[in-house]
Amino acid sequence: MKTLEEVFETWEAVIGLEIHAELTTLNTKMFCGCKLEFGAAPNTHTCPVCLGLPGALPVPNKAAIESIVLAGLATNCGIEKHSMFYRKNYMYPDMSKNFQTTQGPIAFCMRGHLDLEVDGPAAKERYRLDSLKVGESNGNITRTEDGYRAHVGITRIHMEEDAGKMVHLGGGEGRIAGAKESLVDYNRAGTPLIELVTEPDLRTPEEARLFMQKLRQIYLAIGISDCSMEEGSLRCDGNVSLRRRGTEAFGTKTELKNMNSFKNLHDGLAYEICRQAQVLEEGGVIYQETRHWDPSAKRTIVMRVKETADDYRLFPDPDLAPYDLSDEFIEGVRAKLPELPDQKAARYSATFGLSAYDARHLVDHRATASFFDECMALVQAEDEGSKFAKPLANLVINDVTAHLNANPGVQLAATPLTPARAVGLVQLVADGTISSKQAKQVFAAILDEDKDPTVIIEEKGMKQVSDTGAIEAVVDEVLVANPDKVTQYRDGKTGLMGFFVGQCMKAMRGQGNPQVINQLLAQKLQ
Amino acid sequence: MSEMFGAMGIARLKAGLAAKEFSAAEVAQGALARIAEADQQVHSFLEVTEQMALAAAAQVDKAIAAGTFGEMGILAGVPVAFKDNMNLEGTRTTCSSRMLENYVSPYTATCVEKCLQAGALPMGKLNMDEFAFGSSTETSAFGPTRNPWDLQRVPGGSSGGSAAAVAAGLVCATLGSDTGGSIRQPGAFCGVVGLKPTYGTVSRYGVVAFGSSLDQVGPFTRSVEDAALMMNVLAGRDPLDCTSQPCSADFTANLAEGVRGMRIGVVPEFMEAKGLTDEVRQKVADAIKQVEALGAQLVEIDLPHARAAMSAYYVLGPSEAFSNLARFDSVRYGYCDPGHTDLGSQYDASRAVGFGAEAKRRIMLGSYLLSAGVYDKYYYPAQQVRTLIIQDYQQAYEKVDCILTPVAPRTAFKFGEIGDPTEMYLSDMFTISINIAGNGGMSMPVGLGEASGMPVGVQLISPAFHDANMLRVAAALETVYGPAPVAPDFADGKVA
Amino acid sequence: MAEHLTETDVRSIAEYSCIGLTAEEVVAMTADLNAIIDSLAPITEYNLEGVPPTFHPIGDLANVMRDDVEVPGFTQQEALMNAPKQEDGSFLIPSILGEGGDR
Repeated sequence: MKTLEEVFETWEAVIGLEIHAELTTLNTKMFCGCKLEFGAAPNTHTCPVCLGLPGALPVPNKAAIESIVLAGLATNCGIEKHSMFYRKNYMYPDMSKNFQTTQGPIAFCMRGHLDLEVDGPAAKERYRLDSLKVGESNGNITRTEDGYRAHVGITRIHMEEDAGKMVHLGGGEGRIAGAKESLVDYNRAGTPLIELVTEPDLRTPEEARLFMQKLRQIYLAIGISDCSMEEGSLRCDGNVSLRRRGTEAFGTKTELKNMNSFKNLHDGLAYEICRQAQVLEEGGVIYQETRHWDPSAKRTIVMRVKETADDYRLFPDPDLAPYDLSDEFIEGVRAKLPELPDQKAARYSATFGLSAYDARHLVDHRATASFFDECMALVQAEDEGSKFAKPLANLVINDVTAHLNANPGVQLAATPLTPARAVGLVQLVADGTISSKQAKQVFAAILDEDKDPTVIIEEKGMKQVSDTGAIEAVVDEVLVANPDKVTQYRDGKTGLMGFFVGQCMKAMRGQGNPQVINQLLAQKLQ
Repeated sequence: MSEMFGAMGIARLKAGLAAKEFSAAEVAQGALARIAEADQQVHSFLEVTEQMALAAAAQVDKAIAAGTFGEMGILAGVPVAFKDNMNLEGTRTTCSSRMLENYVSPYTATCVEKCLQAGALPMGKLNMDEFAFGSSTETSAFGPTRNPWDLQRVPGGSSGGSAAAVAAGLVCATLGSDTGGSIRQPGAFCGVVGLKPTYGTVSRYGVVAFGSSLDQVGPFTRSVEDAALMMNVLAGRDPLDCTSQPCSADFTANLAEGVRGMRIGVVPEFMEAKGLTDEVRQKVADAIKQVEALGAQLVEIDLPHARAAMSAYYVLGPSEAFSNLARFDSVRYGYCDPGHTDLGSQYDASRAVGFGAEAKRRIMLGSYLLSAGVYDKYYYPAQQVRTLIIQDYQQAYEKVDCILTPVAPRTAFKFGEIGDPTEMYLSDMFTISINIAGNGGMSMPVGLGEASGMPVGVQLISPAFHDANMLRVAAALETVYGPAPVAPDFADGKVA
Repeated sequence: MAEHLTETDVRSIAEYSCIGLTAEEVVAMTADLNAIIDSLAPITEYNLEGVPPTFHPIGDLANVMRDDVEVPGFTQQEALMNAPKQEDGSFLIPSILGEGGDR
């Protein structure tokens, strides 16, 4: 099979996403007062409504409607005042009523968009990006300094309910295929679910991944979901088709499922694009079908062939009142909009002088962004201005993120690293008390020993020696011990400066102030 | 012979309890004995809830002994029974279907709960057409109910058991549900008062759905006052039903006001309808004369789109039913055909065996009507026609306060007399447009037909949420025709 | 009587609705449904242009919602009390796909 890069020479991929998010931060289900809880014993959070008992009737959760309106406002959607719930009828055992309550042609949120900043390696997937100059646009993308900006349309976000969960017995690895029996648990049935559908505006797997990441940041920022791809509270299906470069008509699309991580989303789409290219280039036909990404086998497999368009017998749900949202309701929700990631990044750049790149990476994770905010609040309180912004940003983007990545599941707030300690650490470097190299050790020690940085450097005797007299003595010793190197340096081999600095640092067991050492060496070697 | 407590009016029964003429336990035991004797012929009950009735009676007797009977609810000590599509925790709710033969309710419907809260003695669950699909109670999987006026005839349907139990004097009042005439038509066939309130007046929570935008719960009684008392118990907003509406009216308030000055609408097109029998036409015409004699002003009105109501109903009802009945799939409850190794064949077989012929027809019809393309040909236009029918009524109510029409084109027919489904559907020709529009409607007995000797009812129709209007007219008619009698063969403790 | 539905259509509807019909039942059902659909003709005979549909018979019904407050529900035993088949606190069903089947 060709690589993605090779495929893109001939083919253009057209990708649209359908992203489901469970509103896990609510107390109760969409249409009944049952508790929302992940991982409870099976069928312990049910009632007549979510079990679909005869005679039961749904009543919508107002907080869920507020959440979807919030999601729409945060993704630049228009909020439709008049919409209805519909029934989507088909028999499937995880759906207790054998219809899903969802929305019809008009959803609460219509016609939104997100702008993606695609840079670094992610931008390289885009075919012939270099043909664009900075600021120049082509279709929905605009070239930027670091890569490009993609404008991705959102068709709609509609409100619906999740289905129950099934465990398949007797098949391989709990898969439905080959299973002899299945167990059905309706705890999840009726969980409020919002489905966002994008326009087919995405062209590379990286764009798809970045869209998903950005949407996740937004949902986390507005607090409507825990967005756990692992537990399935954030799920993504991808629709993929290919067309020859330079042509307009869409090819036949396949729907890709089971992309339950950002990596799987990228890799699944990349595989499917390459697979379709191979089929087409061999003169084959793409069937409209649902395919399942198998990350261990690194391939997609057919789940279901759609012979005809599904006919779900959609009709307005007579049990649910239509919506006539007031301006007051919508404005009330708008007032609850927090600072969104893009706004936060813009503020970091404007207020603290951070680069756009740093600012964006700071807001990548809600936990690190709020940690950074707390740190900046501390230094500003001490009226130190924003000179700490860059070192604090570096600490958060590099060290903190690395630590969290290395320890999955660890919550930043639960670690011994408090904002005050982070600020203390950065201050110790800034005033020359410790070197940035020592700072790495102190950072590790804070997390290991749960102590303040000042205590740690005291205990470990890590104070940086900046005393010129003490350093001068060491510099002299080093120069005396290496007369031949001194001669070589003076003959023009200035690259030996690093050697002398290293020897001095070694003699001082790493505690010498490198700036002072450099200064003195330069003087004495002239 | 047992004491005929079920034949008493609510006020008379409660006065007797208050005066300690008899105890609530005696009422319960008397009603149970009467059901055991007489219902062998009528077959109105599917389940008799003896223990619940006796327990409720004990509570009433306790209150009587403590002198707090007056503080109890409207139905304290009154034997009532419920159509078997209404959930009552701990009882079977079968909807007269094999599908739910062994289904035990784990919760209680709001309308039933309100009766219990009002102190009613719950006597049991009543036979019906399967899932309320029918007009004769012949589609019950557990055998038909017989009309107490003539055991060779149907009681009407779908709430046939509810009407027959009241007509036979087994209980004071029952609850039924009405989707296209299922309270009013059996009310007329059995000669009792049957009231379908305005859609939204009574909570549908816990009542097994047929057509969600059409279904409404209402009472059967033998007097207008009892119907109004039942409405006082049942009406009101239920937080568990989005379509229920606040209602604090006292339905008994203007029963005694008479009809002087009221404008009563008559529909010439209905009186000349093909299929309307002479004996029914004659009794309805007589009732029209009576209200005029009582001082009401008659106004001829036109309901030009009522003609399409039947078609709209057979689009909307089955479409909603198809979706509502999808949940009966053998997974969580209901009939599960044994021995299947794949779910598809278990579904097909369980629903093939569990549902009767009429239920299957309606599900299939609804599935067709909602399918792509067909939706635009029938379903959507039916909802537009609904708008026109509502407008017809709104225009009529500018001129009248209440409308008087026949309930059904004929009196109760004999078992097996009507076999063709489309002919059976004509039973609802005068009642259906009211469900489509959502208005209130009731049947009021006005004596016996000359040819058949069977009861005839007139239908009174009120503007939405003005159900008191039709009760007022019904009370006036009652002064002429008298309250509904217990069917003669069951009166005075007889057993037919 | 017009033929709105063929026996093939009826079999396909029965499949979607998950109702097993015998060959004779398909014949009878086809006749019944065609007769009923014939009787729906009045619906198609009005000029309905510009007439809004009424999906909910109560005209001004809108925005009916509840607060996000937990209400006690069923125990596991209550949830399963009518289950035809159960195992380990869950409803038990036979193979969804069947032998080599599709959903």
